[in-house]
Amino acid sequence: MSARYGMVIDLDRCTGCGACMIACASENNVPPAAPRATWRTGITPMLVHTLSNGKEGVDRREAFIPIACMQCEHETPCVSVCPQQAVELDKSTGIVMQMPQRCLGCRYCMTACPYHARYFNWWDPQWPPGMEHSLNPGVSVRMRGVVEKCNMCHARYHDALQKAAAAGKKKIDLADYVPACVEACPTGAIAFGNLADPNDPVTMAAKSPDAFRLLESIGTEPKIHYKTTQAWIRALADRNSGRPTEAQHV
Amino acid sequence: MKFSRRDLLIGTAGVTAGIVFTPVPWKLLGDVSIWSQNWSWIPQPAHGPVETTLSPCTLCAAGCGMRVRMAAGFPVGISGVANHPLTKGALCTLGYAAHQLNWHPARLLRVRHSGRASSWPEAQAAFAAACAEGPIAVMDGRPGRAASVALETFAAKHNGSYQTVPGPETQALAPYAAWSGVPASTLGYDLENARTIVSFGAPLLDGWGTPGRFTRLWSARAAGQSDPQLRLIQIEPVLSHTAARAWRWLAVREGTQGALAAALARVLVEEHLVKAQGPLPEMTLEQAAVQAGLPIAEIRDLAHAMVEHGPTVVITSDGDPAVAALNVLLGAVGTPGGIILKSKVIPRHGAASTAPAKFRATVIDASVPWDLIPPAQGEVFRFATWDGGDSKADWLLPSPGFLEELTDIPTAPTSATETYAIATDLLAQPQETQTAAQFLRKIDASLPDVDKSIHARCEQIFQARLGTIYAGQSKPVAQFESAAKLEEQLRKGGVWLSEPPRNATLHCALKIWPAAAATAPAAPTDWTSTWAPPVLPPLAAKLYQESTVREAPARRLA
Repeated sequence: MSARYGMVIDLDRCTGCGACMIACASENNVPPAAPRATWRTGITPMLVHTLSNGKEGVDRREAFIPIACMQCEHETPCVSVCPQQAVELDKSTGIVMQMPQRCLGCRYCMTACPYHARYFNWWDPQWPPGMEHSLNPGVSVRMRGVVEKCNMCHARYHDALQKAAAAGKKKIDLADYVPACVEACPTGAIAFGNLADPNDPVTMAAKSPDAFRLLESIGTEPKIHYKTTQAWIRALADRNSGRPTEAQHV
Repeated sequence: MKFSRRDLLIGTAGVTAGIVFTPVPWKLLGDVSIWSQNWSWIPQPAHGPVETTLSPCTLCAAGCGMRVRMAAGFPVGISGVANHPLTKGALCTLGYAAHQLNWHPARLLRVRHSGRASSWPEAQAAFAAACAEGPIAVMDGRPGRAASVALETFAAKHNGSYQTVPGPETQALAPYAAWSGVPASTLGYDLENARTIVSFGAPLLDGWGTPGRFTRLWSARAAGQSDPQLRLIQIEPVLSHTAARAWRWLAVREGTQGALAAALARVLVEEHLVKAQGPLPEMTLEQAAVQAGLPIAEIRDLAHAMVEHGPTVVITSDGDPAVAALNVLLGAVGTPGGIILKSKVIPRHGAASTAPAKFRATVIDASVPWDLIPPAQGEVFRFATWDGGDSKADWLLPSPGFLEELTDIPTAPTSATETYAIATDLLAQPQETQTAAQFLRKIDASLPDVDKSIHARCEQIFQARLGTIYAGQSKPVAQFESAAKLEEQLRKGGVWLSEPPRNATLHCALKIWPAAAATAPAAPTDWTSTWAPPVLPPLAAKLYQESTVREAPARRLA
């Protein structure tokens, strides 16, 4: 039986520290910000937004929501629009794979993505001289002109596969496959697991009454679930928007 | 057979159509795609043997446990150590990109004198001359290390002064040290037993203390609970990341935390919410409330909240004695869940130094953060890994960078337990760099060597037979066959933890209510407040430039 890897992100535990963003960028050889990069033109496969209840002064409440590729399972929008077959839904893992080698940079997928979770390489990737020594050898560097996004640290998945193969196993041990953001979260707000396994704690958490998905109504069956007990955050999510409309991104 | 023009056209069309059904065009397309992604100017990762090693982080005094992934001899990834007893697998946000810092454009790799290029022999000659002319002051930002022994000994042997430069977290404990008569380094916070934590601006969820210790605790006992086991009350003027996640946030007026503390003291004593009868501030509740910009009812409510779910401890972001005095009223000094004496301390060998009034020169160790350098006398020899500018020193002397030197990490300032770890030089020390201890040993070869001091410290721990060594799993010190074996475990990334904190009463002689800090301290809500290097990893721009989750830090960025 194939796996369906997904996450449950507990918004009540997220402190907005950004460790997931840094760990993701470090793991996946995402270059530092180009001088003119902004939150729309930069590359942040994992991006933390600030949510607020819209009030001011002492009544103001804020929370944080990390947004990455939602790994849509059903009629995956980016897959269906890509003219190059550069995006595929991996049937064995449920991960939406982006293959920059095939990408023409047309950005149809960015337009189609309801979650704004895809990023275009507007500039050549550059690191300060010598810093290329610190790049992860398991991940290739993408060039200017291609789209990229979260692939759930696929290099780590391959490492886990190799480890399983070396041990004569066909399946990976989930303990060997932990995406960088999950590993880095200092409060354990991001839980990763196999949603196809009904006994997986992540599957159970995804089914709890506090759990929800962004833009659930469009029926793309995202595999990133969120969780909160805060009524105002839930109300914000239920108000339909996939984008955090109350976020500071204006 | 005659070959006509028509045949040529048919044949060409056929071949063209046929090629489409062969792998050739698709293979070519794929090759072109791959080739076009491998321009010579696109950086390529270095390939080589990959291994993972454990090491404590050396960038600040917290000494978090790191798992360092090395490839081709270079660190290519950093993550936390899942079961680490101090950090529980967490690191600070910036720590995940710390391995990039050695290549930061602001890395200092040349000796500079008064803004001009110089050399180590010139610096050595200038320092030797200064030593001959008068006493020397030596400043150390992280006392208790093996390197500190060399610095301290040098100051003692040369009629100089060894001065420590406490960080904000050590300063926050200074009032209790002054009132109880014990050194601030022996005090810590018993967070694990506290049920209410009142933070006056301390960024508890944003890099305070040993990141991971409190975030994990908060996550388990407070996050998302309407009536949490651990109540975090954040008092600060702005809605910081910690305030946003706190059980309760009070927006006090900037610089009036001392006034709010006075108001709380009035309510606590006058309404008999605490056993203590005083001391009381001169300021009335009404006056304090006006200053703090909070309604009296809210202050009263806060005072009740502070005592109804004890033990309660007040944590300040600085050493404001007026705020610290609240802990004395609450009886939170020397009691579980409050400010406590660290576990039994194994004394470290050191040498007493004199304190002359004037110094011919000052040596500032690289462990003193640029932001905290106090006014220094005479010719200033500043050791630094990253360039912080020429305004604070005459000589800028390049020091080894991240994971480039053998060093040890003594107990973190906020820790309740005494700890010890060793960070080995996973990377070769660049020839252009020297540590302050190495530099001083060239003047006085009799100074203790760092390697030997570490060995001596391990011998002390072994002889004391106290606590456990954690290196993947815990092993009591008493079960080690020799000091060498114990040191071997520590050099592999293990950490020594002494016994649990002492349950000893601390008597604080506080006769009168202390005055609030004269000047309003800068609110350390900046997410880099505990980050020692003057620069940030370039990837930090993800947080303040490529997202809006953070404000750009108010520090120099290269």
